[in-house]
Amino acid sequence: MNTLKTVGHASPRIDALKRVTGTATYTGDIRLPGMLYARVLRSPHPHARIRRIDVSRAQALPGVKVILTHENCDTVWGSGDTRNKRYLFNNPVRFAGDAVAAVAAVDRHTAEEATRLIQVDYETLPFVLDPEDALKSGAVEIQPGGNLSPDNQGRHEPEVYKRGNVDEGLRAADRIFEDHYTSPHINNAQLEPRVSIAEWQGDQLTVHASTQGISNCHTEIARDLKLKPENVRVICQFMGGGFGNKNQCHDFDLMTAILAKQAGAPVKLEFTRKEDFLAVHGRWPTKQYYKVGVKNDGTLTAIQLRGYSGMGPYRKGTGGIAGIEIYQCPHVERAVYPVYTNMAVSANLRGPDFPQGVFGVESLMDDVAYALKLDPVEFRLKNMTRKFNDETPYTSNGLEECIRRGAEAFDWKKRWHAAPGEGAGPVKRGAGMAMGSFFSSLGRSSAVIDLDSRGMYHVHVGVTDIGTAAKTTMALIAAEELGVPLDKIDIIWGDTGRCPYSVGESGSRTTTHTGYAVVQAAKDLKKQIAERGLPQGDAMLTATANTNPTIPGAARYSFVAHFAEVEVDTEMGHVRVTKYVAAHDSGRVVNPLTATSQVKGGATMGMGMALHEELLYDRATGLPLTAGYYGARVITHRDAPEVEVLWIETEDAYGPFGAKTLGEPTIIPSVAAVANAIYNAIGKRVRDLPITRDKILGVLA
Amino acid sequence: MSKISRRRFFEGTGAGIVATAVPLNGQQVRPAAQSGETPRTTIQFTVNGKLQKIEVEDRWTLVEVLRDHLGLTGAKIGCDRGECGACTVLLDGKPVYSCSQLAVWAHGRSIETVEGLSANGQLDPLQEAFIEHDGPQCGFCTSGQLMSAKALLNHNPHPTADDVRHAMTGNICRCSNYNRYVESVLAAAGTLSASARRKA
Repeated sequence: MNTLKTVGHASPRIDALKRVTGTATYTGDIRLPGMLYARVLRSPHPHARIRRIDVSRAQALPGVKVILTHENCDTVWGSGDTRNKRYLFNNPVRFAGDAVAAVAAVDRHTAEEATRLIQVDYETLPFVLDPEDALKSGAVEIQPGGNLSPDNQGRHEPEVYKRGNVDEGLRAADRIFEDHYTSPHINNAQLEPRVSIAEWQGDQLTVHASTQGISNCHTEIARDLKLKPENVRVICQFMGGGFGNKNQCHDFDLMTAILAKQAGAPVKLEFTRKEDFLAVHGRWPTKQYYKVGVKNDGTLTAIQLRGYSGMGPYRKGTGGIAGIEIYQCPHVERAVYPVYTNMAVSANLRGPDFPQGVFGVESLMDDVAYALKLDPVEFRLKNMTRKFNDETPYTSNGLEECIRRGAEAFDWKKRWHAAPGEGAGPVKRGAGMAMGSFFSSLGRSSAVIDLDSRGMYHVHVGVTDIGTAAKTTMALIAAEELGVPLDKIDIIWGDTGRCPYSVGESGSRTTTHTGYAVVQAAKDLKKQIAERGLPQGDAMLTATANTNPTIPGAARYSFVAHFAEVEVDTEMGHVRVTKYVAAHDSGRVVNPLTATSQVKGGATMGMGMALHEELLYDRATGLPLTAGYYGARVITHRDAPEVEVLWIETEDAYGPFGAKTLGEPTIIPSVAAVANAIYNAIGKRVRDLPITRDKILGVLA
Repeated sequence: MSKISRRRFFEGTGAGIVATAVPLNGQQVRPAAQSGETPRTTIQFTVNGKLQKIEVEDRWTLVEVLRDHLGLTGAKIGCDRGECGACTVLLDGKPVYSCSQLAVWAHGRSIETVEGLSANGQLDPLQEAFIEHDGPQCGFCTSGQLMSAKALLNHNPHPTADDVRHAMTGNICRCSNYNRYVESVLAAAGTLSASARRKA
C-alpha cells in the first residue's frame, strides 16, 4: 500500500483541547435566558389502559407552565415505530417506561415534583415479556394484527433468507449439530443522558439535540411537527455517545418543541439515568435455534437458523440476527421472527444484528470443531466466507490474514489447548477466537469546501462526532486530497443551519460516505483553483459535492478476527480476560491513533456484554430490575485488559483512499471470543448471555 | 485509598439498589411539598482557588450549583446517582461524586474542577497526555477521569498501571477507552513503559 502524506499518520483529535479542559459544550451544558426545565412521567406498568388522568394538582403547583398528556397532545412520532402509529403519549401504555405526561416548569425540581402530583388511574392489562411466549395463542395482543411484527410490506411473516436447499444439505452431512442460545436486552448506556433544548423565534424552531445525525433529526422533526424544513434548525456541537440510540429524532425532541411553543419560552428536557435505560431503546434480546450439517473433514453442508427477537411494543429496529454469513456453505436458511413484547423497546446498539448472532453461531461452530477434533482456527480458515453469500466477490477480503496474523500475534498454538477444561484448577486458563464481517457501505452524503483568501479551507460537513473522531477524520481526508497541512483545514460541523446533508453517524458510515464526499469536493476545488487561481480579498471559492457512489457486481465488507485468553476461577465463577488480540481489515486506516482507540473500546465493550450486562425483568410484575450502571455492571477500569490491535490494511479500490468501515466491527466477535475462551478453560458451554458467575458455577456443578 | 469505589458505595448504602425496583414515578412516592417554599442557605466555599458566596436551595447538589449557578459545566451529570463518576471533582483534595454531595455540605471547603486544572494558559501534564494518547472518545466522562487521575498523582506520583485502574475504577467510560486512559495517566506520571510508548 502506498504511503500518503497525512492520511495514515497518527494524529490527535483536532478538538482534543476542548475535550480535556471542560470547555467542549455538550447539549446539557447550554442554558438559554428564560429557559424552562421539563421532566417526563412514565408508566409504572408493563401494559395498562389509562382510565383517567388528572393534572389539576400538578397544574396548581407554583412554577408549572405546561403539561402534555395523551388528552391534549396527539402528535405522532414517526421514527418511534416503523409499522404502527406511535404517539408521543400512548394509551394504552405498553411497557414500564412508556411516556404518560411531560411537564415544563421554572426549574427541574418543580418539574419533577409536578410529575409526582399527576394522578393516573390505570387499568392494568396482561403482559408478555418473552418473544416465543408472545407468539403463543392466547397471548395478549400488543399491537393490532398480532405480536409477530409485520415486514415492510405489512405481512405478518418472519424475515427469511434462503440459498440452496437446507434439507438437501443436512442429508449430505456426516454429522448434524443442533443447539440454541439466548441473549438479553442490554442498554446502550452512553454516558451522556438524553437532553433536548427547543427554542422558537416566531415560526422558526431551533433544537439543540444530542443526536448522531443532525440531518435525519432535522427532517424528522419537520415531518412530525408539520413544519417547513427551512423553519427547523438542529444543532449538536459535542455529543456524549449514543452507540445507535441517538440516530433518529426522538419523542423527547418533539415534546420539548411542543412544550416550548406552548410555554412561549425555551425548554430543556432532561432524562434521569433510569429513564435513559428504559425509555429509549437497547439491544434486542434473542433466542436462536441452529442446526448445522458438516462432513467428517470439517466441510459445512448446511446451516439453519430459526430466531426470535423481542422488539418491545414498538418496531424501531430490524430485529435481525446476523453471523452465519461469515461461513461459506451451499445450503443456508435463516428465519427470524421480530416479535412485540412488553419489555423496553429494542433497536440499534453498536453492530445491531451482530454480536449476539455471532455469539450463537461461533459458539456452535466451536463445538463442531472440537467434536471433529479440529483446531478452531483451522476450522474457520477452511469454512470462512470467500464470496458474499457464496456468490458475489468482495472488493477486498482480509479475513484470512486477520485470522492467520491474529493467531500468530496471540500465540494461539501455545495458549489454546485441544482438551477443553484440562488442568487441575481451581483457576483454569483457556483461549478462544471468533470472526466477523460488517457491511462497509458507500452511499449518499455531501460536503462543501470554501477557500478564503487567507488560504483557509472551511470544510462543511453535517457530522456531529459522537466520539469516533469523525471531525478529525474529515480534516485528514481534506488535507490529504487538497495537499495542504492539517492546520489549514477548518471543520464546520453539527449544525443544519451551516452544514449540508450528511449521512447520520450510524452504520459506521461517516468515513466511507461523508469522507468520500469530502474527497470529491476537494477535487472540484482543486480544479477551480487551477482554472481561476487562488481567491483574493473578500472572494471565496466554493466546491460542493453530493455523492452517492455504487459498486457494480461486488460486495464491500470489513473483516475481523478476535482472540481472547481468560482465567476462570472454578470455585468462584469469576472470569478475567488475561490476553486479547484484535485483528482488523478496515482497508486503509485514516488515523491509526483514533482507529486503535475504536478497536480497544469496541472489544472491551463486548467483554461487558459477554460477562455482565442484562436488563433483568421480574417475570411476576413485568418490571425492570437492573436499570442503571450499577445494575447493568458495564465494564469498568478494573475489568478492562490491554487490547492489542493489529491492522490488516487490504487494498480496496473504493471509499476515501481505500478506507473501509470500522466503528461497529470492533464489537462483533468479541462476545463470542470470550465465550469460546471460557469453554476452552472449563470444558462446559454456557449458552445464555451474559456468562455470569452463577451460570459458570451452574454448568460446573 | 481515600476514594470510595462505585461498588463499595452501593454496598454501603443499598439505596440505589432499592430505588431500581421502585416503579418509575409511581404514585406512592413521597408527598410533595406544595407551598413552593424551599429552605435556602447561604454558603461560602473556594472553587478553583476563588472564594464564592452563594445562596443555595438546601436540596441542590454540588454538581447542580457548579454547573447551573457558577457556569462550570466541565463536570457532567451522567447518572445523578453515584454510579458513573462523570461529575467527579476534588473536595479538599479528595475525589468525590459531586452529584452525591449536597451543596450545603461544601460550606467552608475547597473544590477543584477540571476548569482549574490548567493554570496561566499552561495545561496540566495529565491534559497533555490525554490529548497525545487519545484519552477522550466522546469525552463525556473525561473531566471525571482527569480529576480522579489528578487525585491519584497528588498522593502517588509514580503509580503502576494497576494503581491507575484501582484509583479510576469509579469512572465509567462507555466508549470503554480504558486502555487509553491508563496509558495517558502513566505517560503524565512518566511511568509509561518504553514498550507501551511505542504502540500506535
